[in-house]
Amino acid sequence: MLRICALFLFSLAALPALADAPQGYPFLPFDEAMRQAQAQRKPVFVYFGRYGCGYCEKTNKEAFSEASVRERYTQNYVLAYVDSESGKRLRLPSGERITERELGTRYDAFVTPVFSYLDSSGALHHRLVGVQSKETLLAADAAARAKMAAGE
Amino acid sequence: MAIRFALLALLPLALPHAAGASPWQFEAPISLSDRHGEKLFHHMESSGRRNIAVSGDTVAVAWEDDRDGTPRIYLARKRLQDKAFAPALRLSGEDEAYEPSLVALDGGRFAAAWEEDGRVRLRLVTPEGGGPVATLEAAESAQPSLLYAAGELRLVAAEREQRFARTRFHRFGVDEGQRLRRLGGCAVDAAPPQDEQLYPTLAQQQGVTVVAWEDRRPGHTIIMASESVSGSECAFTAPQRISLRPERGEKMPYGRGHGVARVALAAYGKEALLAAWADKRDFREGYDIYAAHWRPQRGFDGNERVQDAFGGVARQWHTAVAGDSEGRLVVAWDDERDGDGNVMFSWLEEGEWSEDLPLPGADGAGEQTHPAITLDAQGNLHAAWVERDVVGGPTRLRYAFGRRH
Repeated sequence: MLRICALFLFSLAALPALADAPQGYPFLPFDEAMRQAQAQRKPVFVYFGRYGCGYCEKTNKEAFSEASVRERYTQNYVLAYVDSESGKRLRLPSGERITERELGTRYDAFVTPVFSYLDSSGALHHRLVGVQSKETLLAADAAARAKMAAGE
Repeated sequence: MAIRFALLALLPLALPHAAGASPWQFEAPISLSDRHGEKLFHHMESSGRRNIAVSGDTVAVAWEDDRDGTPRIYLARKRLQDKAFAPALRLSGEDEAYEPSLVALDGGRFAAAWEEDGRVRLRLVTPEGGGPVATLEAAESAQPSLLYAAGELRLVAAEREQRFARTRFHRFGVDEGQRLRRLGGCAVDAAPPQDEQLYPTLAQQQGVTVVAWEDRRPGHTIIMASESVSGSECAFTAPQRISLRPERGEKMPYGRGHGVARVALAAYGKEALLAAWADKRDFREGYDIYAAHWRPQRGFDGNERVQDAFGGVARQWHTAVAGDSEGRLVVAWDDERDGDGNVMFSWLEEGEWSEDLPLPGADGAGEQTHPAITLDAQGNLHAAWVERDVVGGPTRLRYAFGRRH
């Protein structure tokens, strides 16, 4: 019986996550994040993922799990998560009502994950495509904030 | 870079796609919507991309826009010989409304279904105007798609049942006037949903109703389909997965599988159907357009890529399909191979997909996206799409008529 229980627990632990937003981060829907960013005059970090996305899951496990990444990103950005295949609706700052999938096409989330660094008006300043490491995420944070400061 | 250009130059030699001129001669596109402006956004994104239909000598297009600040459903019609569309008819009520699906009946009649205030509504539209609005009973329903067959209106929608949305099928009787009479309905997959079932659509061939939808049961999105059981008023076969998993040498250690989105269905010829969808199996290049053919007794065959090899390095979105009983079959989508989005199309020619061509008038400067297409009884191709000068900017709706050669 003990062996069966152990096997059951192991099988649960072995189930891959379905690549939603990484655990332990205050990700918001895109429109809510944009409103908060405008109110706080903070940049927005948008995570374009997809249900079942392998490279999202890898990035979540290997990079977003790092305390230094968590600290930097929760401190420096309002965080938004977008399921690029979802029909969930949101309202853009322009007033347009679109689905998360359409937002993905608008920001060219042609693969997942795509990480976009926006200023509080929604302008794109930096972008990462595909699986990331702790080092690339930390470097991108610095690069994105430098670009925003320089108005690039 | 030089190697990439050299490979592109050699591509035509390796193309399995048929090359040739389009079977349609397109007239200059015309404006479809009577209202546009700085803060006005039009959307054509029905489940199955069913936004255009032809009944007799009338073409109709249904869409959503927010001309008065609230997203609502509108329909515009035009006699084929007329130069312009008549002013739009508002179909939805007072609440926010989305994703209208349109189907042609006979005698210049149409039916439209949409989501309003979280529930699917539908009504007939005759030359005289709109009929009474019917509402699906489910507390939460969305993403309707319509079919008219055997003198009745058939509708599929995603209806939320506790945790997950489930694909349900409904039948409505159509009176000579404008009233809809509910005849029955059932879940397409008799088994309780294991995950979300989304964006269903349906088509009819050889007396069989085929329903296809997005299904997340394996932990990622796949396309599944069921077909009606002969002799039963409302029963469907066990779902078949139709978007196949690509064969790879090594299983990826992460994730459950690749992404697919938004299946469209059309009957063509005397016994076939095509399902087409956006498919990210080649994940480095974004979505491509993939399809599977269905035939009676055989179900769906394997998958094939619709777009030609030139589209492999670009993104494709928003798949639309149209077919007719003479065997014509057309797939349209928007495509970024030339920079901003343009509408491209391909047609089946002696069993092979043609080279991809830009839809005349739906290419060039700005962005042309979200095509909806249909073939009329003469084999003419009707197309509508959304146009923007800049990404994210205000929109216009355009329509083009392609006369069959």
